[in-house]
Amino acid sequence: MAMPLIRKPFRFRRRSKLFRMSRFEKVVVFLLVLFSAFMLLPLVYIFNHAFKPYEELFVYPPTIWARNPSFQNFVELFQMTSDSVVPVTRYIFNSLSVAVLSVIAVTGVSALCAYPLSKHKFPGDKLVFATIMLTLLFAPETVSIPRYLVVSHLGIMNTYWGHILPMVAVPVGVFLMKQFIDQIPNELLESARLDGAREIMVFLRIVVPVILPAVATIGIISFQSAWGNTETSTLFMQDEQMKTFPFFISTLTTNMANNVARQGAAAAAALFMFIPNLIIFLVFQSKVIATMAHSGIK
Amino acid sequence: MNGWIRMKNRMSQRYEGIFLILPWIIGFLLFVSFPLLYSLYMSFHNVRITGTGILHEYVGTKYYNNILFQDGGVFYDQLLPFLRQVLFMIPIIVIFSFMISIMLNQKFLGRGLFRAVFFLPVIFSSGNVIERFLSQGRGQLGFLEQFSISTALTQYLPASWSTPIVSVLNSFVLILWYSGVQILLFLAGRQTISASVYEAARIDGANPWEMFWKITLPAMMPFVLLNTIYTVVDLFTFPGNPIIASVNPTQYGPTSALIWVYFLIILLFMGLVMLLLGRAVRVTTQTR
Repeated sequence: MAMPLIRKPFRFRRRSKLFRMSRFEKVVVFLLVLFSAFMLLPLVYIFNHAFKPYEELFVYPPTIWARNPSFQNFVELFQMTSDSVVPVTRYIFNSLSVAVLSVIAVTGVSALCAYPLSKHKFPGDKLVFATIMLTLLFAPETVSIPRYLVVSHLGIMNTYWGHILPMVAVPVGVFLMKQFIDQIPNELLESARLDGAREIMVFLRIVVPVILPAVATIGIISFQSAWGNTETSTLFMQDEQMKTFPFFISTLTTNMANNVARQGAAAAAALFMFIPNLIIFLVFQSKVIATMAHSGIK
Repeated sequence: MNGWIRMKNRMSQRYEGIFLILPWIIGFLLFVSFPLLYSLYMSFHNVRITGTGILHEYVGTKYYNNILFQDGGVFYDQLLPFLRQVLFMIPIIVIFSFMISIMLNQKFLGRGLFRAVFFLPVIFSSGNVIERFLSQGRGQLGFLEQFSISTALTQYLPASWSTPIVSVLNSFVLILWYSGVQILLFLAGRQTISASVYEAARIDGANPWEMFWKITLPAMMPFVLLNTIYTVVDLFTFPGNPIIASVNPTQYGPTSALIWVYFLIILLFMGLVMLLLGRAVRVTTQTR
């Protein structure tokens, strides 16, 4: 008989708490919707800009939605690309292979470097990390001339190495990954070692899965920086066959004396440039979001 | 035999780290540290590229002198407002992304979608997308002018401070776009706090407010430091910032000098952040 008496106030309190939570949730969802509208704005803009006919491209104030969407820009872009000396597919092939290879190289090399920095004591590890922190602060623009010298002395001009190697040693990747690996408890690694796992196994089977969010983030960032990179094509590639798609696009639009001409093609090209980024983002982001919750850390 | 194995183990333990690190170190030495040292060298020289090779002519600290004392126009007029703006933007970005990540950690319908949307700016931030967008005046908030907030600010504050504040408010949307990686890092950091800690606190009668200050915030302090550093780096090396924009690749010597002065300033800034936040992190992790 006593049971319902006790249970009743308890249930009441639980319900009120539930109600409060849902109200809080409503506020949260409202705010998030509001902010995410801003977040999506550039995306909507890029897509619409590519479909705007010429008279809308230069409207001031600029509009976000295209009023009379047309494929005119794409037709123009297609015509321009079809009469280039090197077939445009060659540029796209170069770009794609460079981007994919540098994503693999950057994430692999950064993770390989970050793991011992975080979990092993070896002579000079503090020094290495301090150097990484310092070089984080340099903008990549500062070192383009000496880099040119290095690339020319290594003899990797006009090769894919010239595209990839200068991009590999990025301090940001190592920095981010080290911070993630710092969060892995030593006991986890130690128990794997006790079970007889070799160092490389510990790295591949435990460290990499746990820091997958960081790996995926670096993957996304390095993909888009490699994909959009015109610097290596300008500086290190004299052979037209070895240049990349973004470089080709930039020559289409910047060499024109008249700034108005080809703006439509530029808008269409911007969309083309953006779509691989979006695809890579969509592929990797689920890995990013599936965070450390299920990774066995805590 | 046994001792030999142990020794071999210790040796490999000691040097295994170096082997794993080696590929990165080589790339780093070739493509980062050598170029940096070379640019330091160039900043003291008049560099000319001729048909036969590169000529270096020692000029001492002439370029540094020019930048800092004689022709300070570029430097002080552009850098100081930028520094003030950064000073505002960093805390705003960090706090904002912290709040968003806490919100995104709640359970609600469509959470995965929202997480993806808030991470989306990562793919805008480095490209020319944002620049194109901003140059067309799309990043600004209309209400600042409408409710005359900006005029009020300019009235009550000295111009040297009110302009950066107004421009920060104006670029609020930009702040949203800068915080993609930060939100992600906070979200990942939040997941490292185990649910059982919250459960225990709830059983002890803590309310969400207390739990935030006593559990979430202390546990997140390392990530706050990480994100602050990331934000500083991100803002200072963004291609659109005034110093990077004034880099002139044809004048090797003066440009290198400018970059090194800029670097020292960022270093100072970073040192300050590390000093302040690093202490906070140490205190909170010790009390835990």
